[in-house]
Amino acid sequence: MLLLFSTSDLIHCSAAPLINNFTLFCLIAFCPNNNEVHIYRLLEEKWERIHILQKHDQIVSGIDWSVRSNRIVTVSHDRNSYVWNQEAAEWVPTLVILRLNRAALCVRWSPRENKFAVGSGAKTVCICYYEQENNWWVSKLIRKRHDSSVTSVAWHPNNILLATTSTDGKCRVFSTFIKGVDTRDSGTGPGSDSKFGEQIVQLDLSFCWAFGVKWSPSGSTLAYVGHNSMIYFVDEVGPSPSAQNVAFRDLPLRDVLFVSERMVIGVGFDCNPMVFAADERGLWSFIRFLGQRKTSSSSVKYGSQFSEAFGKLYGQSKHGISNDTVEPSRPCGGIHENCINCIVPLKKTGDSRMTSFSTSGLDGKVVIWDLENQEDLLEYL
Amino acid sequence: MANTLRLYLTCIRNTLEAAMCLQNFPCQEVERHNKPEVELKTSTELLLNPVLICRNEAEKCLIETSINSLRISLKVKQADELENILTKKFLRFLSMRAEAFQVLRRKPVQGYDISFLITNYHCEEMQKHKLIDFIVQFMEDIDKEISELKLSVNTRGRLVATEFLKQFI
Repeated sequence: MLLLFSTSDLIHCSAAPLINNFTLFCLIAFCPNNNEVHIYRLLEEKWERIHILQKHDQIVSGIDWSVRSNRIVTVSHDRNSYVWNQEAAEWVPTLVILRLNRAALCVRWSPRENKFAVGSGAKTVCICYYEQENNWWVSKLIRKRHDSSVTSVAWHPNNILLATTSTDGKCRVFSTFIKGVDTRDSGTGPGSDSKFGEQIVQLDLSFCWAFGVKWSPSGSTLAYVGHNSMIYFVDEVGPSPSAQNVAFRDLPLRDVLFVSERMVIGVGFDCNPMVFAADERGLWSFIRFLGQRKTSSSSVKYGSQFSEAFGKLYGQSKHGISNDTVEPSRPCGGIHENCINCIVPLKKTGDSRMTSFSTSGLDGKVVIWDLENQEDLLEYL
Repeated sequence: MANTLRLYLTCIRNTLEAAMCLQNFPCQEVERHNKPEVELKTSTELLLNPVLICRNEAEKCLIETSINSLRISLKVKQADELENILTKKFLRFLSMRAEAFQVLRRKPVQGYDISFLITNYHCEEMQKHKLIDFIVQFMEDIDKEISELKLSVNTRGRLVATEFLKQFI
């Protein structure tokens, strides 16, 4: 676990570790809660800022970095999206005409990095792809399917299926097959022979807003969270899906990440990543918090109890009054001090297991977590 | 402090802790706007059920939550006419200085004496637990403040009356 740096409020982050000759260096892109995207690089144990991407004029709401083609896509509340290409030492933006009339909220590259999906406040999803002849990113819209803003999008590993969550509480799966971009041979799974924009399934499990949808690495399980402190796991996404709801007693989650087929990390308003895992029978349950919570020191408790007793002893003495007030709420005590709203895997190329990931929160911190030294969780990897 | 007040405040604190899960959320209806949804109420799906916490008929607290904002409205105890006037004047004094308080609403919600409006920006800038502490502390202090004001008004009234009546002796 390593604390990176602290800026003002931090919204999004996307990290891409790359192998360059002999040294492994880590790049990270994030938005410090304004219209800029900052890129930092880890060099000899020190983080330094190497680029500032400045083109949007409202807050940047989503960043995604395609590792293989080395492109960054950003979307913002100003309804625009840019694809950034690295040319020499500079990042050059290309405007994407999203044809949106409301803010864009989230963005994700497809696994093959030839398309990206943008969720928006206009209750639509844009699927953008590159058109060679026009030298232009073109957007196709999935309209009239969502009843509210699209909060999160996730690509199935087959590059065709797209899962979305929305503030109407539903999770939907669409086919995004685009002629000329995708080929039919790619899958035998559900929706392999469907048209663009066709809805494969609509999951109506949550009674509250849904956020943070993700597919498992194999694409067999879908997980998303509801604002009613629930996390939903859906198997066999298709005509007859089977779902599991897991309720927990803490504040709601904002985003999830599949570390393996059997383990999910959830982050959210509780400021501490939560670990969910499936047992041998495939039943999901909450395991524990990842970060250590500082337990409130017992001496404080003693003090208050003592003086309370004194207060009772002396009737309405000063002791009693000073301690009779409602106990002030404590800070959450974890490494993050505000809502965590983003979790990104850190995958070393050539390593099949994913053991580390980074989280970023509204407290302006990016934290890298390593699961290698968490012995009790290794069996789920 | 009376035991019922503690229960009342603890209940409010716990409700606020659960309700204060706010995030940046742009308006769905108006282009390039970002406004507290709890005030606009344009889309019903972005609002949560309001919670009303009552200590008794005269003292209650309404907590309305939406995806990016939270509104807390308080009704303060007013036992007699004097308290009524004092509360009105004092809370008006505070509401007129709402900028200094940041989370204070300029006008209370109808049927209540004072309202707070907390948006996601407040949660980003300030620590959540401190914000909740502030609200609870405010509720604790407002009763004390009003009864102190009432006492001093009475004392002053008595003094003035004594001084005035002295000339007739």
